Amino acid sequence: MQLLRRRSRVLVPVVAALVALTACSGPEPDVVVYTAMDQVHSEEILLLFQERTGLSVRMEFDIEANKTVGMVSRLRQEAHAPRCDVFWNNEIANTIALANEGLLEPYDSPSAADIPATYRDPEHHWTGFALRARCLILNTERLGEIEEDPSLWPSSILDLESSPWNDVGSVARPLTGTTLTHFAVLYNLWGDDEARRFVGDLVADNANGGVALTSGNGPLMRSVGEGALAWGFTDTDDFNVGRLRGYPVERRFPDQGEREMGTLVIPNTVALMKNAPHAENGRRLIDFLLSKEVEELLARADSAQIPTRDDVPRPAHVPNLGDLRAMAVDWERVGADLPRVQDDLKQAFLR
Amino acid sequence: MSRWLVSLCAVVFALLALAPVAVTLLRIESTDLGTLLEPRIWSLLARTVGLGLSVAVGCLLVGVPFGFLVARTDVFGARFLRPLSIVPLLVPTLLMAMTWTALSDLRGSVATAGLLVLSYFPLVSLFTARAAERIDARQEESAWSLGGLAAVLRADLGAILPASLAGACLAFTFAVNDFSVPDFVSSVGVKFNVYADEIFANWSQFERPGLAVATALPLLVITLAALAPVLVLRRRGALAPVTSSAIAPATLPLGRLRWPATLFAFAVVAASSLVPLGRLGWEASGGPAAWRPVAVRAAIAGEDAPPAATAPRPVAPGSATTGTASMAGAVREPALTFDERVAAAPVVVGRQLTTFAGAFGKAFDRARDDVRRSLWLSVVAATFALALGLVLGHAAERSRHGTTLLMAALIPIAVPGTLFGIGSATLWDGAWLASLTGGASTDFYATPAMASLLYIGRLSPFAILIVAGAVGSVPKVSEWAAASVGAGPVTTLTRIVTPAITGALAASWICVYAFAMRELDSALVVPEARRTAIVRVFNGVHFGRDEYVAALSLVLIFTILLPGMLWAAFSKRPAKVLP
Repeated sequence: MQLLRRRSRVLVPVVAALVALTACSGPEPDVVVYTAMDQVHSEEILLLFQERTGLSVRMEFDIEANKTVGMVSRLRQEAHAPRCDVFWNNEIANTIALANEGLLEPYDSPSAADIPATYRDPEHHWTGFALRARCLILNTERLGEIEEDPSLWPSSILDLESSPWNDVGSVARPLTGTTLTHFAVLYNLWGDDEARRFVGDLVADNANGGVALTSGNGPLMRSVGEGALAWGFTDTDDFNVGRLRGYPVERRFPDQGEREMGTLVIPNTVALMKNAPHAENGRRLIDFLLSKEVEELLARADSAQIPTRDDVPRPAHVPNLGDLRAMAVDWERVGADLPRVQDDLKQAFLR
Repeated sequence: MSRWLVSLCAVVFALLALAPVAVTLLRIESTDLGTLLEPRIWSLLARTVGLGLSVAVGCLLVGVPFGFLVARTDVFGARFLRPLSIVPLLVPTLLMAMTWTALSDLRGSVATAGLLVLSYFPLVSLFTARAAERIDARQEESAWSLGGLAAVLRADLGAILPASLAGACLAFTFAVNDFSVPDFVSSVGVKFNVYADEIFANWSQFERPGLAVATALPLLVITLAALAPVLVLRRRGALAPVTSSAIAPATLPLGRLRWPATLFAFAVVAASSLVPLGRLGWEASGGPAAWRPVAVRAAIAGEDAPPAATAPRPVAPGSATTGTASMAGAVREPALTFDERVAAAPVVVGRQLTTFAGAFGKAFDRARDDVRRSLWLSVVAATFALALGLVLGHAAERSRHGTTLLMAALIPIAVPGTLFGIGSATLWDGAWLASLTGGASTDFYATPAMASLLYIGRLSPFAILIVAGAVGSVPKVSEWAAASVGAGPVTTLTRIVTPAITGALAASWICVYAFAMRELDSALVVPEARRTAIVRVFNGVHFGRDEYVAALSLVLIFTILLPGMLWAAFSKRPAKVLP
């Protein structure tokens, strides 16, 4: 009896603690969204949906360091017991890969009716909206010291390997995010041999103190804005943050000449997950995200995303799609080749 | 000590701290091991070990003199410098990197090593300071009579060096597992990839946990090899507390060296604590943008800071561009004169104060839930870890299997954070749990409890090690006496041991709490741990931080340091990491 009493003095707090730990599970959400879109941009949109509908939204944001692919990896791991209802991806290649693996549920959202067909999956597994474009961010002060005539400043991806621009240029290490997608598209357009040569040149140039390989598009924007680097490749949303911060920067869409490849335009994509636990609420969220209102909000936000619909109002610094020479991309093929290209890039850049 | 209580805690520890590591090993496939033969892998590993050794040596060079000076000599302000020097250990290394890279052109491998030295030198200085305090006064008196201060220093160095080396081993361990600082610092200039980068990439970007684990094995072996000397030194008494017969040494007068020594100590604290915190404050006030020439001239003219322009300026056929209004072509804005700075100062400083308040408002508004979640998870983790640490730390010091227990405690510390996170996620997201609970627990992985378990498993070894060290200073005879009058093991532990090691218990709670607040690598794998303040800061930094991120960083640092500051302010017993 005494032994029991003695042990209960320890067992009671232990059991109480375990109960407390288990109780830490929190309330069940009405809809769960995983998003690879930057938290600073996506959170406000999702909060607006929550406010409008009264539904509690569980938001899972990806981290900058493993943009998109970390989230996609998690969706695959959870496929046996999905927790996510809606996947809001900030790019398209990985969404297509998920669709090909049968992890997405078709949904033809009424909100998507006027979105151009280019950005809609014919089988309705995903829908694209609010685009970003790859662009050059140029520090006008730094470049002005090198070349007075702005028309001679970098204007092509090939300037990353041309003197003198390679010494002051930069691109994010293409292991994640839109830079990975960009390089995957280059492999697709140029073929493996030419793409490998280009990548090899970049790595060799970096080792010799040339092209900088930043940890992401955000740090690249900041480094260019502050003048540590003179120019580099980033996304339009990152550029816009630099512009708003008052950095002496200029945006330039690359390869816009007649016979040039154009710039890469990447839509956000949204999809309903197969066996989503809250499928109906998930559809409501997708309808909201694909609305003109959200495209306008994203265009007016710091991320300055480019609406897919021409009639969506936008500020002057957000271009019309018609103003750009966009790359022609076979996304299905890019998605299929992605794992191979990723491995290639890891071998080259992680050494 | 009660066997069943120790067994219970050992089982809990094994489940939370060791099982995740074991589970990860099971994910390795034979093809994964083939990767280890790639020359690229070994080149990365060699570079990482080189970095770790450089950091360890750097920590010794900074930490040994600093620890000795603040613990034993008459440098000015030693009382304040000593606790302040611990700050960088508690501040996320990424914040250290982002502030110093903003302040200087530090880039590349040397800068990476330097920044990690600034972050981890307190490990060496802590060990050094305690070792220096344990030197017997009679030994010093003999040395002094033979050769003055120089002879004392020579004699003391021999006595404190083993402890300092133990600190350097820990610094090595932390340095080789850090990938955020090398990545961030080498964003400009030659890229400096490290081995932890490869592990993280294999897991997150290539979806191959088995490969990630296989790649981690060499690093794990190296880290354990680096930690083993700490236990060896401990067994040999190098880290032992003073004996009752020892006489506490007197403060050493530095004479003419007092001012240079003080300057050195202040410089170390300034570089590692004050400058990063000051820079974050400056950024939170919008300092870099507020003092741009164009903004200052606008302030003098009584105008708002110039709005960013949106006017397109075609510069090449077919291209669309947008430039800022202040840039007419490529002309750099003329630098400010002294008079302009003086004239604008009141307005600009006023604007900075407004920005500062706004940044903190935004930080609280956006990150309130994340900060609250971080605090809650860290408090739970620290409290549980303390309970485990008290029982297992005591057992490690008193039982026959103490060394085995301490060796086991080193494993979660030695394992790269990402790997530990993968193991925890695999363990608690496993089908076994679902079948055990009839499917009810499939979401356990996504709950806050899961994040708590992750932190407890990962960080409870610190509590065990700190308590074990402290129990060594409690005379066994007092426990025997309690037992002889009928006190049970639990009573002895709570009534005899606990009061005697209150400082160490406080230190272990504070230590686990602080490390949980700043835990990033393993947290990235677990959903609820990703919704914490440190992850929000991490994302903000990568996105190209602004005032709000700097303000949030300061909030985070403040919450990390708060328990330590409260304990120091209100408790008569100092928190002691070392006996």
